[in-house]
Amino acid sequence: METGGLWMLAAVGLAMLATGLPAWIVLVGVSLAFTAGGIAAGALDASLFAAIPGRIVGLLENDLLQALPLYVLMGVLINRTPLADTLFRAARAALRSTGRAVPLAGIALAVLLAPMSGSVGASVAMLSRTLHPRLAAEGMAEERNVALVCVASTLGVVVPPSLVLILLGDAMMRAHTEASHTGAFAGRILNTQDVFHAALVPAAVFLLLCIAITAWQSRRTPREERATPPARVEWITAIAAAALIVGLLAGVALGYLYAVEAAAAGGLALAIHALATGALRGGVLGTVLRETLALSGSLFALLVAATVFTLVQRAFGTDRWLAGVFASTGSAAAALGTGLATIALCALVLDAFEMIFVVVPLVAPALLARVPDAPWVAVLVLLILQASFVIPPFGYAVMMARSRIGSAVGTRALARALLPFVAAQLAVLALVAAFPAMLWRDPAPAATDAPAKGDEDALRRMLEQRDEEQAPEK
Amino acid sequence: MRVLDRCVAAAVSGAAVLVLPLAFLLFVQWPLREVVQAGSRQANDLGQVLFALYAAVAVTAATRGKVHLAADLVAHRYSPRWRGILTRASALLIAAPASAYTLYAAGPLTWQSILQLERFPETFNPGYFLVRVAAFVLAALVLAQALLDAFAPRQAPRP
Repeated sequence: METGGLWMLAAVGLAMLATGLPAWIVLVGVSLAFTAGGIAAGALDASLFAAIPGRIVGLLENDLLQALPLYVLMGVLINRTPLADTLFRAARAALRSTGRAVPLAGIALAVLLAPMSGSVGASVAMLSRTLHPRLAAEGMAEERNVALVCVASTLGVVVPPSLVLILLGDAMMRAHTEASHTGAFAGRILNTQDVFHAALVPAAVFLLLCIAITAWQSRRTPREERATPPARVEWITAIAAAALIVGLLAGVALGYLYAVEAAAAGGLALAIHALATGALRGGVLGTVLRETLALSGSLFALLVAATVFTLVQRAFGTDRWLAGVFASTGSAAAALGTGLATIALCALVLDAFEMIFVVVPLVAPALLARVPDAPWVAVLVLLILQASFVIPPFGYAVMMARSRIGSAVGTRALARALLPFVAAQLAVLALVAAFPAMLWRDPAPAATDAPAKGDEDALRRMLEQRDEEQAPEK
Repeated sequence: MRVLDRCVAAAVSGAAVLVLPLAFLLFVQWPLREVVQAGSRQANDLGQVLFALYAAVAVTAATRGKVHLAADLVAHRYSPRWRGILTRASALLIAAPASAYTLYAAGPLTWQSILQLERFPETFNPGYFLVRVAAFVLAALVLAQALLDAFAPRQAPRP
């Protein structure tokens, strides 16, 4: 019965593919079915679900999750206003001397706006509209065009303070807290700021590799047409927007602003700009608000479903079983390899949000009990998630880009076009895995090894703690 | 069913606008904390209440807008009739019982919270009971939408 949670994961993957039903419905449905089976087999208690209302209230009062609708609002506003086009035209004009202005301007646009729009879906929508038609007009092969849209859309994942990074930071903080109860390490608990900082250097390295690959791939693209240079007001708008975005990103990265406040500032600034330029006239404001509500709901539904799903997984004792597997693994490096391989396998079928809400809470606490360098583990998980977005045919960015662009490009051709970028992602992953010291860390270490406690003792403490947490709210 | 549909639609339309005051409240925390050095906790708690109510309605708005994350790789080949049956069955067998049980389990705690006009535990600001009410509203709207989807399914996305 302890492996029940793993069978639940397999059932979710199969049911999602076979039915096409929303992921949150599948997660709740699989939880209900396995709970019924567990009760029938005498392995679970019927009072298990009494904990659900308390868990939902816990989500509704989570400070960090307040950023979620704000990021969605920014993404929708960017897609509904001409700001992305203005920034693109300015970047193209600024990069004209390189001879590869269009693809490089696309990457610049993605780096600036993707962390603000927060979600990969919003970035795909923006770049499918702004970048894809221009690259097509420049004569770039369709598979390379779609590949560039996919990869550029995922840049925001690793650049703080993206939504994925915020949610992963929160999940890792919870996992680290849980792992700390084992006594396997001493020191302060990881926070989202640690994850933001740690992600900066790998993000910069990956960005440089992307620029190099794009420049190399564009060498045979026919010469660019002369585009009309942006007007003075467009230059001013582009420079002001870029300065605001860089300022907000720096404010969060350096700890002057909370991510939620930065998201709120970005959302308000975009809304005011859109109102001032008349971009929200004629019912557009209503559409923006409705889209924001619905898209926020799609993410929140996933959170609610994941909290039910992980409750049942833990009731089966899958977390105990997994913790035992990690504890019995020979070395910390082997445990890390096993944990990351598990996450990578799941990431082939589940998208980043499902991974963060369902898989990370199950795997990360056991992993962090063996490998306490939480910022390092968080960045490795982040890089795996980023890679999972662009691996065809299930990668979220790949599916979204194909659906948005309506392109008939084949999976094999797209995979070939994506190969250099995936190789670059794996190279950065290997670099971070081999050289943990390359990450930017706060002076006070998040946690240090404290081998005073044996693995078995650490495991026992973790399980006791989880048993307490699993008890339904009275 | 038509009345229920109108009620859910009204809740969705009304909640959509909450994101604007939410953005303002969460932004204004920063100057209140750093410059005015007062009122930031109140802004945070009020933002919390707005967020809870917004999120509670958002789940059903996503269902009505058909924007939930889903893997459509195989299912896009199914006929509309078969997909309709799957949607109806999932509403009746998954969403409805899960939300009904949540309502049943959350009811007493929510009622107690309302009677006591429960305050935020850290700041003692009033209004925390609204967060508990939001959890109840979330389940109630999911149940209402599940009944609508099970017994009066529509093909086109609704506002």
